[in-house]
Amino acid sequence: MLGKGVGGGGGSKTPKPSFVSYVRPEEIHTNENEVTEKEVNLHLLPGEQLLCEASTVLKCIQDDSGQHGICGKLVCTDFKIAFLGDESTLDDNEPQFKNKVIGENDITLHCVDQIYGVFDEKKKPLFGQLKKYPEKLIIHCKDLRVFHFCLRYTKEEEVKRIVSGIIHHTQAPKLLKRLFLFSYASAKQNNPATGPPHQTVMFDTIKDWRWELERTKGNIKYKAVSANEGYKVCEKLPAYFVVPVSLSEEDISCFQGRGIPIWCWSCHNGCALLKMSAFPKEQDDSNLQIQKAFLDGIYKTIHKPPYENLKTEELSNTFISLQEIQTSYSKFKQLFLIDNSSEFWDTDVKWFSLLESSNWLDIIRRCLKKAIEVIECLEVQNTNVLLIEENASDLCCIISSLVQVMMDPYCRTRFGFQSLIQKEWIMGGHCFLDRCNHLRQNDKEEVPVFLLFLDCVWQLVQQHPPAFEFTETYLTVLSDSLYIPIFSTFFFNSPYQKDTNVHQRQLSLPLTQTKSSPKRGFFREETDHLIKNLLGKRISKLINSSDEPHDSFREFYDSWHSKTVDYHGLLLPHIEGPEIKVWAQRCLRWIPEAQILGGGPVATMNKVLEMMEEVQSLQKKIDEKHNSLMAPPLDALSLLRKPARLSSLFPFALLQRHSSKPVLPTNSWKALGDEEDLAKQEDEFVDLGDV
Amino acid sequence: MEPGRCGGGGRGRSFNIPPQKEPNMGLLRPKSMQVSGMEESRSPQTSGCPALRCLPGEQVLAWAPGVRRGLEPELPGTLICTNQRVLFRPQGWQGRQDSILSSDYDFALSNIGRLEAVSGLGRPQILRPGSLLKFMPDEILIHGRDFRLLRVGFGEGGLEPLAFRVAMAIIQARAQNGQAQQYDGMTLSKACCGLGPSEPPVPLLETPEDWEAERKKHGARGWRVSTVNERFDVSTSLSRYFWVPRQTLDSEVRKAFGHFHQGRGPRLCWHHPGGSDLLRSGGFYEASDPNREDIRAVELLLQAGHSDIVLVDTVDELPSLADIQLAHLRLRALCLPDAADEKWLSALEGTRWLDHVRSCLRKASDISVLVTSRVRSVVLQEQGDRDLNGLLSSLVQLLSAPGARTLYGLQTIVQREWVAAGHPFLTRLGGSGGSEEAPVFLLFLDCLWQLVHQFPAEFEFSEFFLLALHDSVRVPDTPTFLRDTPWERAKQSGQFSSYTKVYTPGSPQSPVGDLVPRPLTVWDWGLRYSHQQILQFYNPCYEPHHCSDSYPPKEQPTPVTPGPPRSIFLFSRGTLTPLNQLCPWRDGFSSLTSSSRWHLRHNTSSDSLADQEWGLPPHWGPSPLPPGLLLPGFLGPQIRLWRRCYLRGRPEVQTGLSAPTVSGLLDELAQLQELLRTWSSGALPGVQTKTKDPDTPLSPSR
Repeated sequence: MLGKGVGGGGGSKTPKPSFVSYVRPEEIHTNENEVTEKEVNLHLLPGEQLLCEASTVLKCIQDDSGQHGICGKLVCTDFKIAFLGDESTLDDNEPQFKNKVIGENDITLHCVDQIYGVFDEKKKPLFGQLKKYPEKLIIHCKDLRVFHFCLRYTKEEEVKRIVSGIIHHTQAPKLLKRLFLFSYASAKQNNPATGPPHQTVMFDTIKDWRWELERTKGNIKYKAVSANEGYKVCEKLPAYFVVPVSLSEEDISCFQGRGIPIWCWSCHNGCALLKMSAFPKEQDDSNLQIQKAFLDGIYKTIHKPPYENLKTEELSNTFISLQEIQTSYSKFKQLFLIDNSSEFWDTDVKWFSLLESSNWLDIIRRCLKKAIEVIECLEVQNTNVLLIEENASDLCCIISSLVQVMMDPYCRTRFGFQSLIQKEWIMGGHCFLDRCNHLRQNDKEEVPVFLLFLDCVWQLVQQHPPAFEFTETYLTVLSDSLYIPIFSTFFFNSPYQKDTNVHQRQLSLPLTQTKSSPKRGFFREETDHLIKNLLGKRISKLINSSDEPHDSFREFYDSWHSKTVDYHGLLLPHIEGPEIKVWAQRCLRWIPEAQILGGGPVATMNKVLEMMEEVQSLQKKIDEKHNSLMAPPLDALSLLRKPARLSSLFPFALLQRHSSKPVLPTNSWKALGDEEDLAKQEDEFVDLGDV
Repeated sequence: MEPGRCGGGGRGRSFNIPPQKEPNMGLLRPKSMQVSGMEESRSPQTSGCPALRCLPGEQVLAWAPGVRRGLEPELPGTLICTNQRVLFRPQGWQGRQDSILSSDYDFALSNIGRLEAVSGLGRPQILRPGSLLKFMPDEILIHGRDFRLLRVGFGEGGLEPLAFRVAMAIIQARAQNGQAQQYDGMTLSKACCGLGPSEPPVPLLETPEDWEAERKKHGARGWRVSTVNERFDVSTSLSRYFWVPRQTLDSEVRKAFGHFHQGRGPRLCWHHPGGSDLLRSGGFYEASDPNREDIRAVELLLQAGHSDIVLVDTVDELPSLADIQLAHLRLRALCLPDAADEKWLSALEGTRWLDHVRSCLRKASDISVLVTSRVRSVVLQEQGDRDLNGLLSSLVQLLSAPGARTLYGLQTIVQREWVAAGHPFLTRLGGSGGSEEAPVFLLFLDCLWQLVHQFPAEFEFSEFFLLALHDSVRVPDTPTFLRDTPWERAKQSGQFSSYTKVYTPGSPQSPVGDLVPRPLTVWDWGLRYSHQQILQFYNPCYEPHHCSDSYPPKEQPTPVTPGPPRSIFLFSRGTLTPLNQLCPWRDGFSSLTSSSRWHLRHNTSSDSLADQEWGLPPHWGPSPLPPGLLLPGFLGPQIRLWRRCYLRGRPEVQTGLSAPTVSGLLDELAQLQELLRTWSSGALPGVQTKTKDPDTPLSPSR
């Protein structure tokens, strides 16, 4: 089935000879091992090096008329895997929106999730040294794309080179200094900040923190400290952060930043959201005593006025475990990584129960619920809330960011949201490098925590679109940029790691591997963890069933939802079963079967933009009349103006771009283009007539 | 549940009920303690009860002041039970003169799915017809079968006895109502037009003129209106008029129709401007033994002058009536407000409702491609021709014809393919108490909602219109949905009076006299909906223009082929299978067995849908998709639950779901245009530019 259409469909096509090289001479020098008279134009970024390649590779595309292949070249650089093919993108079907860095057929090395080889129609995951090379390569990407490359017509040694090259460069553990990020940065040295001035607060200066304190009116009870300047105290904390005014410098440095409440955000009524890294489990009794005494002292200070009552939320044990998130997402993503249509239809019948058994939506619901609980404490009970987690850098980030998105309208603007990510995630020390497994050093550490956060925000955007300055497309693009290693944002475990590495790199010092201090592993002892997990679940169930906290939560939730929504105020999501949905734009955008021509939310969006345009032009006319000024020419912001109907996959609809073939129900239409097929059919037809 | 617990609370009360129910109430007469109080509050039944305009034959049985709960703000008013409906009338409610029913709080008795009474902390009691209420209720919950929920609470002010009485009255009325009662419908002499003066009235298709006008609108030149069923003697379930091929004689039609189940022969549904036709027909009558001439007539009607015919076995791959009913029951159970959320998604899947929606959409989409893109004539064949044929033909028209996607177009389709075509609404919606209940029409509305949801700019009507239609199926004001056949409707409305002596000996009280008032239909929306609500029927995103230049496609010359058809296919399970002949009786096959209805070759391909091929004959060739055609998505993630309909009973769903972006912008636009107009006409420019209130999504400025 898989290979059926490939040979006949695209085998005859050859790459277009009319090639213009876009590789500039200076780049030829950097690519020392590369010959550049290629027949296709490979765009290399500054500092990017071609590693290996193979020609006459077929990229298999499944569309309504079955499978066909596009002949081209598969290359692997130290940045991406790219397919350079003769796709007729020259006509009017050129997509309006495309990623400037990543083309349609580009997969960054970090975006590769799983590689499979097809041997005699059997699909096997590929890793390590191969004895036998597959006839077909299937690449599953972290952004849920699936690529099929048929290697049947490729020379054997080229197959060997490209397959082992791809496997090595995507799956072998890597050193931090080998990140493409550094080659890119050094090759592209003078990097003038173009575009609009930076309005995202980066929180890398004490000024930024003071500004934030002032904005949230938290500056009476909380102060920005520079105790960790130069990372003297702790490598996990940022250089600057905010603590209660009453906290002394000694307290901060006492346990390398553990056990101290760190300010996240202040509510309008003065209550604050705080977070704290818990102490690691300690066997030694005397140490435990010391820690306990220290904590008691801390609690005493922040329990006194002017501080409000304090409620602690222990996120390590009683909430979702990282293991749970990992398992759930790996089930969830399988629903969308579809190798071929028939597989899709097979799963489709059981879609809802499969979705439910992945548990992903339930995890989203629990995160949202936890955030609402925290909000209830801050808003109604006037208490401070202290989130406690082992490193305060995973679930803490999710909950504290969600609370701020829901309570602080500034966080629902684009720059506000970016500042929030900068504050809670980047400076908060979320281990992007480990959680995204960019270095392929430990698969068990790979947990899509940030993606979970984006999905939670998506639920909010979906339920209250007018409350947000950005759209779901923004979130989708943001989720994609996790895997593009030219941005440094999501490629470090802590601000310390980033500063030291970027600094050392500039000094051209050889890097020793700076994998951050071995954390008290989440997944070190799995059995232990499972037990903990079960206990946690049971405890949370008990807590839920006990009356007091639950009831006040319910009351708060119900009363908020029975009122009209103020989009500039507190914003709560619906968390009932039917209200938590699949982030369809992100998950379904590469599945051609999911395309609805002329439908989907983009149709409404189109209308909205059109009307906004009209409103603006009318407004302008009125203003002009009012001021009786000369009219400057109206420039229409016809963003989506196009005669053609857009499809529901817009702006990601890159798959379906055939102009001549009709879009037909994919399940039932037969390829009619092929004469051979027609001839066969003719015979069959005559036969039947005689029966 | 049973009376054993009745005395336990010591709260049994007696009450008075209208005399005709006296015999039933014998059970309910323990010692009465509050008779005097009851009497006192009873006396205002005529005066204190808010002025209620009644339907013909409607009587107020009981009423009690109460508070509508569940939504903010709580609304004081009165709960009234009549012998036809239960309604809540908010205080100070000022209905329009001619609107008897309000849309929000009226429950036809047949619409009450579950009645619950709650008292204090005790468990709610479910009140079935004939059961006894064991306590004074603090609150009464009425769950509609249309997924609505009405919660009426009764305050402390000694109103519980009244509440008790009204609850018992509802129980009684429901019990009475179960006995196959037919509503007469209202007739108002005052003409009440449908959506407003701007919209043409929906053709009721009860006169040949209506049919002729519709035929012309379709441009179906090869067809004519047949009057052969004018006296309902060919089939009582068929309309009096229908379309047949121009070249056939009425006598041929009569002969041919006799060989179809219930006399429902092939008729035209819709003529595609490209030249193809969509026909619907009942199953072949198995026991008949037609002669040569009859077979020719049957073939003539099925072929209708086309060279390629595709027969579609309608029920194939679609849910059976029992499946639909079961799924709907499960869906209703799932959507109760107290249902657990724990396993929401698998429970939803377990109802299979969305699966049924999906299969209908898929089949309709396949057929639309055949009719429009391939320009082939399609005959939908279902044994009864009264259920899924209507669903499929309506969906195909909505997918294929942009003109059908207007409010007017949809109402016309419903009137033609459902009402006039004899869909047994009363039986299917459980109104006749029979066992053949199956909400096929509601399934159709759900399919339609999926389309509206997937193509937000393609339909002139909004989801609110579909909701209104959904809620209208049991409302006892018009006979549109409360009859099983056009014959019953005609008997009722009196147009048929000249024939009543012959055909309906026991004619009900049809209006006598020369003046026959126009019967009200469900399309008279002004009866139940306010102007504001009717404005919401319109979809603000509707974009009718973008395919106007290329639609309609040019009519291809369709030469009338006198000979036998060139090719006949059966479309089944996503595959086209060649057939040797149109009807099954030739060559000694005078009786049919279900397995070999046609000479067809079973294809043995695997079940996997991706492997299915249509096996199109080569001379059909590929053809581009016509621009007006909609191809819906029917993947698991794309078929959604119609939350605003099914989850209405859940308070959390009732608020905050409508983002007023588009309508808000529309308002602003209208305001600006208005302002500009005043200015350019020389008025003073001192007016405020922005006075928009975002909370009113549809202000009268539209």
